[in-house]
Amino acid sequence: MLATMAVSLGMVLVVAIVDYLTGLEISVALLYLVPVCWGAWFGGRNAGLFVAAASAAAWLIHVMLLCGFIDHPWVLAWNTLTLGVSFALVAVLMATLALTQKNLEATVTKRSAKLREEVIERRQAEEQLRQVNAELQQAHMQLIEAAKMEMVGRMAAGVAHEVKNPLMILGMGTDYFLQHPVTSEAEAMLLQDMKDAVRRATHIINLMLDFSKPRPLHLVPEDLNTLVENSLDLVRHQFLKQGIEVVRELQADLPALPLDRTRMEHVFVNLFTNAAQAMPAGGTLTVRSSLQEVSGGSSDPGCRVMLEVEDTGPGIRPEHLPKIFEAFYTTKPPGQGTGLGLAIVRRILHIHGANIVLGNRSEGGARATLTFNPTPKSLP
Amino acid sequence: MNRKRILVIDDEASITRGIKLNLEALGTFEIRQVNHAPDAVQSALEFKPDLVLLDIVMPEMDGGEVAARLREIPSLKDTPIIFLTAIVSHEETQGGEAYIGGEDYLAKPVDLGTLVQAINNRLIN
Ligand SMILES: Nc1ncnc2c1ncn2[C@@H]1O[C@H](COP(=O)(O)OP(=O)(O)OP(=O)(O)O)[C@@H](O)[C@H]1O
Ligand SMILES: [Mg+2]
Repeated sequence: MLATMAVSLGMVLVVAIVDYLTGLEISVALLYLVPVCWGAWFGGRNAGLFVAAASAAAWLIHVMLLCGFIDHPWVLAWNTLTLGVSFALVAVLMATLALTQKNLEATVTKRSAKLREEVIERRQAEEQLRQVNAELQQAHMQLIEAAKMEMVGRMAAGVAHEVKNPLMILGMGTDYFLQHPVTSEAEAMLLQDMKDAVRRATHIINLMLDFSKPRPLHLVPEDLNTLVENSLDLVRHQFLKQGIEVVRELQADLPALPLDRTRMEHVFVNLFTNAAQAMPAGGTLTVRSSLQEVSGGSSDPGCRVMLEVEDTGPGIRPEHLPKIFEAFYTTKPPGQGTGLGLAIVRRILHIHGANIVLGNRSEGGARATLTFNPTPKSLP
Repeated sequence: MNRKRILVIDDEASITRGIKLNLEALGTFEIRQVNHAPDAVQSALEFKPDLVLLDIVMPEMDGGEVAARLREIPSLKDTPIIFLTAIVSHEETQGGEAYIGGEDYLAKPVDLGTLVQAINNRLIN
């Protein structure tokens, strides 16, 4: 403010000098409008009026210096007054204009800030919508998958009797010949193959039957790490044979989880077996458990227990990823995989209120991420 | 040596035949087959088995009913019965054997080793 005044008055002085040097030329007086406008624009109305008065005074002084004031004092006073009023009017006009301009700027700034906020809000809403949509779609897929599994189970229950009796007959026959000396190596192999075939068929029909009559969950607070260790024990032999190293990164003091021990071990053994099958020439299996805080988001906050199973195999081809959880989906040669493994895994996890995601690691190999809720809201 | 007598009841002759052939080949068992469930009691009275292998799903009379009739006969009241069934699932039998409602169940198809072990277990007790 002070600076504005100083600059304005300086300018008045300069104009006054110019005015004085150019004599009584009236048009030079218009130059006073520059400091008046300047002062009003930057200093406001009062500053503008002050500069206007100063300008009028400066003009009066220059006239008096040039001609003396005795000749026509009334004319001089009149001229000074009209000039001063004109200057004052311009000052007021300028100050008002400046004020309007400032208000306008403030309004625009406020409006655009609000607009930005709205855009952000809208984006968030859209993001939420997308998420909900994705969740819905996933739920839909799961429903379809569940229906499919249920049908598999029902079908299995229906045909189990018809299939298992013939299998029993074949099995008994094979067992009989296996008790007897064989005439050649090939014969022994044939018998063993037959026995394996019966076992394989039995395995599948049993898996399918388990869908038809799932026994009720037996939930007991369990230590996840212990179940992992138990399951690792079950596959230890296979791992040793294939030269697979196991790295454990198990977080101690995890909260106990309500789990069905047998079924959960079934899940882990399945995941470990898949990993082993992906690393026929050896590799590293990493099992990592951890406790994670979850805040806000679409689902309920709290803490989750995470279990990650990583291998150093080739990973899962992107085109296979969407199908791996489907019943009977396998990329393994006939006889080596039923394709029921992951379908069962997911089903068991879901009835526990837990979740599984399978993907590839950026370093190569696959990673299964299991998420457990220590206090599930509702169990089916 | 006194061979243990086992009565095998299943409506499928090929199953009882297979069991008979296998168990008798071991030399320690004597087997009689029944393929018509209503004949089971009569056969049991004649044969005086040490143990009964009994299919559950059979036409005319199911395994449960056959077992109940056998139990009504004083001399057969304590004869161990092992049920053979094609309808229980793997989980229920924990991979082959189960003990449901005080009875032994074997899930079909049962392999010879499991069968012999189950029979010997019941015969010892
Ligand atoms: N760790 C893994 N690395 C690479 N591919 C995997 C891995 N785990 C699963 N897969 C892929 O997912 C498919 C489906 O797995 P799933 O366990 O359901 O069936 P499977 O292993 O083929 O058969 P089964 O489990 O009955 O032996 C596999 O055939 C394989 O292609
Ligand atoms: Mg598998």
